[in-house]
Amino acid sequence: MEDKSILITTGEPAGIGPDITLQLAQQALPIPVQIVALADPELLAQRASELGLSVQLHTYDPLKPVQKHQAGHLEVISVPLSQSVKSGELNAANASYVLEILRQGCQACLEKRFDALVTAPVHKGIINEAGIPFSGHTEFFAEQTDTKQVVMMLATKKLRVALVTTHLPLSAVSSAITPKRLETVIRILAADLTNKFGCQLPHILVCGLNPHAGEGGHLGKEEIVTIIPTLNKLRAEGLQLTGPVSADTAFIPQSLSGVDAVLTMYHDQGLPVLKQQGFSKAVNITLGLPIIRTSVDHGTALNLAGTGEASSESLYNAIEMAWGMISGL
Amino acid sequence: MEKPIIAITLGDPAGVGPEIVVKSLSDSKVYEVCKPLVIGDKNVINDALSFCNKKAEIYIVNKPEDGKYCQGIIDLIDLANISMSKLHKGTVQAMCGQAAYDYIETATELAMAGEVDSIATTPINKESLRAAKIEYIGHTEMLEGLSHTNDPLTMFEVRGMRVFFLSRHVSLRQSCDLVTKQRVLDYIIRCTEALKKLGVTEGKMAVAGLNPHSGEHGLFGYEEVQHIEPAVKEAQAQGYNVVGPISADSVFHQALQGQYNAVLSLYHDQGHIATKTVDFEKTIAITNGLPFLRTSVDHGTAFDIAGKGIASEVSLTEAILLATKYSPHFKR
Repeated sequence: MEDKSILITTGEPAGIGPDITLQLAQQALPIPVQIVALADPELLAQRASELGLSVQLHTYDPLKPVQKHQAGHLEVISVPLSQSVKSGELNAANASYVLEILRQGCQACLEKRFDALVTAPVHKGIINEAGIPFSGHTEFFAEQTDTKQVVMMLATKKLRVALVTTHLPLSAVSSAITPKRLETVIRILAADLTNKFGCQLPHILVCGLNPHAGEGGHLGKEEIVTIIPTLNKLRAEGLQLTGPVSADTAFIPQSLSGVDAVLTMYHDQGLPVLKQQGFSKAVNITLGLPIIRTSVDHGTALNLAGTGEASSESLYNAIEMAWGMISGL
Repeated sequence: MEKPIIAITLGDPAGVGPEIVVKSLSDSKVYEVCKPLVIGDKNVINDALSFCNKKAEIYIVNKPEDGKYCQGIIDLIDLANISMSKLHKGTVQAMCGQAAYDYIETATELAMAGEVDSIATTPINKESLRAAKIEYIGHTEMLEGLSHTNDPLTMFEVRGMRVFFLSRHVSLRQSCDLVTKQRVLDYIIRCTEALKKLGVTEGKMAVAGLNPHSGEHGLFGYEEVQHIEPAVKEAQAQGYNVVGPISADSVFHQALQGQYNAVLSLYHDQGHIATKTVDFEKTIAITNGLPFLRTSVDHGTAFDIAGKGIASEVSLTEAILLATKYSPHFKR
């Protein structure tokens, strides 16, 4: 099998994105992939010296054949910063740099110059402060690739959780769950579980929206009006769907046996569970895009930038997950 | 210190209550720390002992202080209200709804009179209650009515983490509307009072956020900025040791590590998911605001498996142990 090439967006320059990229580059990797980073090389050099890491930076040459990662080396596609960076200190002037990295990364994968995109954390607040509306990576890539509906999924080795809605006020969730959206999300999830995760007939456990999944309409009508009819329609086509189930018992071991993914209706229905079970082990995946994209599951951790205390474990997990998805494992 | 007397209601006789009671009471851990007193029916317990393959002598007492309280003997206040020939496991029956109600009524009277220290309840069935024409829709409402109290406050506890709820049995959409500054402030105060009654006076309480990432400063939802933060600030100004809002994906994780004495969750599933996912069977409900302490299992009558002896007693044992843990501290 030909070696795969993975592009890393290093994210917020004042956060730990550059740190974990360098820490990862310093190690040998157990999987045969090429790692290329999108960043300002000066920032990386400065951060490496701050961390006391000796990583040799090379300018990425697209004409050279794909070469497996070598410990202590990192290939870089240069994107210049607007202003120099001090570890841990946000600067709205560099918001455009962060977005330029994301744009280039997305484009390079769309043009198949790389097999997958792995993203380090960005800081949503500072991008918005710079006057650029930005609600998250997932939404950004959907727009860049002209994809109408994407699905955010978080996965550990044991559990996959996909979301029908993501970064919405909780009060807006109910009206956002339309039959059309739910149907599209389930179709994307089922197709990607088959194509990218090797599940032949994926079994999806679908959570209800309300307490006790609405308890027959007494605690909310969304199950009866939207969720149940949509699931029935898709079941009739042969999809293997269980639910809607009460979310508070969806994640206990008895409920999860034989389940390939849990579909939750909103952000905090499923993500706290995953974080609790596998902090820094979960990988964030965007399904439904024309590119493969995975991400770390943590934030910019500004207070850890430049200290050497950040862990590259989640970044490695995101790379390993992307590698598996490229091969359809 | 004297062991507390814990009244254990038998629950709906057609459900799993009787079997989990006899199984729990064969656990030496229970007798080491407390005096368990069953409020129920002798024949139902004998039947449960037989299909669970457990041996115990049933000792009928009239007053809680007369019990023997040693392992191998089940001390019982026998209400003798079940006709075994009419009892059908796993079905809704008026006789059983009435019996379940009677057990709770007796337990409440004993607790109100101070003859038992706390009550641990096993499941009742809402439909059976309705069949018996009992006006209460559930346990908590029943205890509220029988003890003449108002609006009790439910708390969950699992692995040392305590969780309160700003709202419970309303739709998700309605629970958002219930997040107001005044309510959050009231609940911080009520929860602090409830903790004091349980003897928990140290540590700080955390209030969970409502929106993803606590709204990220108003980016996804305004309740944090407009209601929750002002409520927490106001409570702090009044001297309450409280922090928040802290996003749901961090706050429970931190609570489990012992950072808070309790978390105020803002809707049913936020607190339920966080607790039950940690350990479903050991998630115990404590009803605060009653004149006595009451703990409860958080599962139902499980009619589908009742009478087979396979229902797990882990939850009831935990409820008894938790009632025991708080009994010496509980202030009426």
